[in-house]
Amino acid sequence: MLSSLQNAVRPKRDCPLLCKFFLLIWFCIAFSALPAHPEPTENASLDDAVRELAERVASIPNLHGPVRIQFFQDANFASDTGKNWQDTFRQEIEKHRLAISEEPGASLLRVGLSETPTQLVLAASARVGEKDEVRLVTLPRSTFRAANLPVAPIRVERQLVYQSSERILDASSPWNGTEEGMALLAYRNAELSAIRLDAAGQVTQTVSLTAAGARASRDPRGELIVHGNDAVVLLAGKSCQFSWTAAAEAKCHSAKPTWRSSTVLTPSCDAGGWKLLADGSDWTTPDVLQVVPDGSLREGSAALLSDFPGPILGINGEQNPASALVVTRNLRTGNYEVYKITLACGN
Amino acid sequence: MRCTKSLWLAAISAALFALLAPAHLLATKHPRYGGTLRVELHVAAVSLDPREWKTGSVAAAENEKLAALVYDRLVTLDDFGRFQPALATEWSHDAAFKNWQFKLRSGAKFSDGSALTSKDVATALQPLLPSGLQISPTENGVQIRAMRTTPDLLEQLASGRYFIFRAQSDGTLLGTGPFFIAESTPPTPSEANPSALKPAHLKFIANEDAWAGRPFVDVIDVTLGEPALRQILNLQVGRTDIIDIPPDLVRKARQENLRVWSSPPDTLLALRFDDAQPGVSDPRLREALDFALDRETMANVLLQRQAFPAPALLPQWLSGYAFLFGTPMNLDRARELRSALPANLAGGIEPLRLRVDAIGDLMKLLGERVAVNARQANISVQLVSHASPSPGSATAASPATGLHLFAWHYDSLSPRAELQALAHHLHTEAGAETVAESGDPEKLYAEERRLLDERQVLPLVLLPEYAGIAPNVRNWTAAPSGEWRLADVWLETGEPASSNAEATSGRNAALGVHP
Repeated sequence: MLSSLQNAVRPKRDCPLLCKFFLLIWFCIAFSALPAHPEPTENASLDDAVRELAERVASIPNLHGPVRIQFFQDANFASDTGKNWQDTFRQEIEKHRLAISEEPGASLLRVGLSETPTQLVLAASARVGEKDEVRLVTLPRSTFRAANLPVAPIRVERQLVYQSSERILDASSPWNGTEEGMALLAYRNAELSAIRLDAAGQVTQTVSLTAAGARASRDPRGELIVHGNDAVVLLAGKSCQFSWTAAAEAKCHSAKPTWRSSTVLTPSCDAGGWKLLADGSDWTTPDVLQVVPDGSLREGSAALLSDFPGPILGINGEQNPASALVVTRNLRTGNYEVYKITLACGN
Repeated sequence: MRCTKSLWLAAISAALFALLAPAHLLATKHPRYGGTLRVELHVAAVSLDPREWKTGSVAAAENEKLAALVYDRLVTLDDFGRFQPALATEWSHDAAFKNWQFKLRSGAKFSDGSALTSKDVATALQPLLPSGLQISPTENGVQIRAMRTTPDLLEQLASGRYFIFRAQSDGTLLGTGPFFIAESTPPTPSEANPSALKPAHLKFIANEDAWAGRPFVDVIDVTLGEPALRQILNLQVGRTDIIDIPPDLVRKARQENLRVWSSPPDTLLALRFDDAQPGVSDPRLREALDFALDRETMANVLLQRQAFPAPALLPQWLSGYAFLFGTPMNLDRARELRSALPANLAGGIEPLRLRVDAIGDLMKLLGERVAVNARQANISVQLVSHASPSPGSATAASPATGLHLFAWHYDSLSPRAELQALAHHLHTEAGAETVAESGDPEKLYAEERRLLDERQVLPLVLLPEYAGIAPNVRNWTAAPSGEWRLADVWLETGEPASSNAEATSGRNAALGVHP
């Protein structure tokens, strides 16, 4: 009845502005997601729950309007949901022909939205006669999805291309420049794996590196380097090689890794290049991607900043000079997310 | 000339920025393995045997914090409301939530290198599970059968005492967690001053083979029984990395610019009526006292805003509906109710005696405040300190008490299980049964409402847990229940990283936990 592991989900909505290629990917993702994952979106789920609560409140026996609504909302939750749910509740109450008033003398209806460790709780309480009538509607917190992330500042185009509840260490772009899709270095059920995804975000191949000796680690460092059919995985103190066509022959050995140097993107209008930097030192706070001009003569020039919803865990721009993949952990949803970063010119 | 000088300054600044800024960004990016994390706790002793923990006790919370270093649970709850695999990798249940199946992680090992088995899990959990739950090993996991519908089993298993361990023949316990305990030193007389005791120490060493990965620090050195003020001083001068701070010292710690972390309010301080004194069972007296209590002042003045008024038995973060309960201070109503009572009750002939658990000055202060509030409603309350009984001594002769100020620590992530445990603690067995049957939040609310209306227990304030953390401690996080995740912590600077050889050298010395 219950699925214990949550598989990767594809992004709900993210509209690229530049590249038809990603527009195509997005459509593929969107269309493939619809039948396979009928998960409610955050707003749909919360809205449904708000409507249900309003309906149940309106049907409380002997509760007559007008009512004065007093809302309660967890402070840390307010920034995520805003007050849309309150508007929805008001509208629904009025739809059920229960008048709303601001008059102090009107019956008090207290309504709250709270977050517990596992649930979102919508609660309403009204005094009817000598009795408090209470109605509660709950929904699993895990169905909650943060609202769409703010659009990145102009000139730094950011597109959410993949998200998963499973831990992602690194992401690599298409390996031959034309093939669509992505490769991930991620943990699946505590097993370190290299995963190939097609353009629709579907897993096409999983190579477990545990059998080859790559044990689970708390260290967030890990790099996946893909060259054609061959791949190299760098871990703290270990290096693994395998071929996608002979995945069972993956081999790992102890090695001091040479981590990739800073990612430099070269937009078509600036041959000088821009370096992508992130702090990444604190996994408990959101990070800022800094895009600074590359080259000693240009250091210190104005940098572009792009806020991320969590710590930036990896930046990989090896496969494509114009774009990079950034792995982050969304601190609101807990999902690991992969963003495509492209520098836009002339904006 | 001036222009040239400015240009030079600008060039030097730009060069410094170019050199330092990216260097800083890169230098702090990666976590660091090694080092010793020094932790000081005020409790004098801990038990790492979950079978010995008393549900709801403050001591159990301290035990749980350290036990999480050594043991794992079947599942965990992440910060986003999702259950994550731990020692169980898959789980399922029937439609009635009565039959649960868990598949165990293959390859998980105890700290002595032996494999975790289904039998280990069943043996560890059975004595910990509430009555009505039966666990049995299966081919690749365990099965839990419940007599009643138990939709909140995962919440229960992901919190509290539901750790997996193996009891060895010598009484030690083995765990699969990120650390194992290598040394346990009891308090010993100080050489300089034999009348004083050197505090107890616990030394945890990183488990290289932990299934979730080796922890970052090599060693966690825990000192027990350090007085709170000395802990703060030690943190200030860099002699320790993590301390626990009592609520009444949080303000001081913040004034000293210490980094202070707080959990959700996880401890309830409440009054319970005991029927040992005549007249205490009179609902009018209970209601009068309830109306007389000034919870806002207790939380905001007495506890300096480091606590929260408690309107309900369960905190808002756990139930989601606590805001619906009020904290009705109404002195006029309290006096009115009191005046309707017989004159010889609660102050007429003998005062209402309030027993205070001797767990610190805070409880005594709170007890005194209760007495002041009660007096305002013409109810006489006298504090009686609760001392440990010594055989054949004053305990037998001590006067009966009608009130008890107690602390309750929320152990479970399941509000239903928590309310049930609290009802058991209050000896309202009928209530506990009702709670056990209700998986519906409205029924849970109704049950809590009923318990509050009975006024056998009057919630006062909710206390978070506070910790002081040294600046070099990185990636400090805590579970939704407040449990510290020390395996993920790393030290940015500090003592040179001790080699992994040290970590492994202690392995053969002591692999188990002596309860």
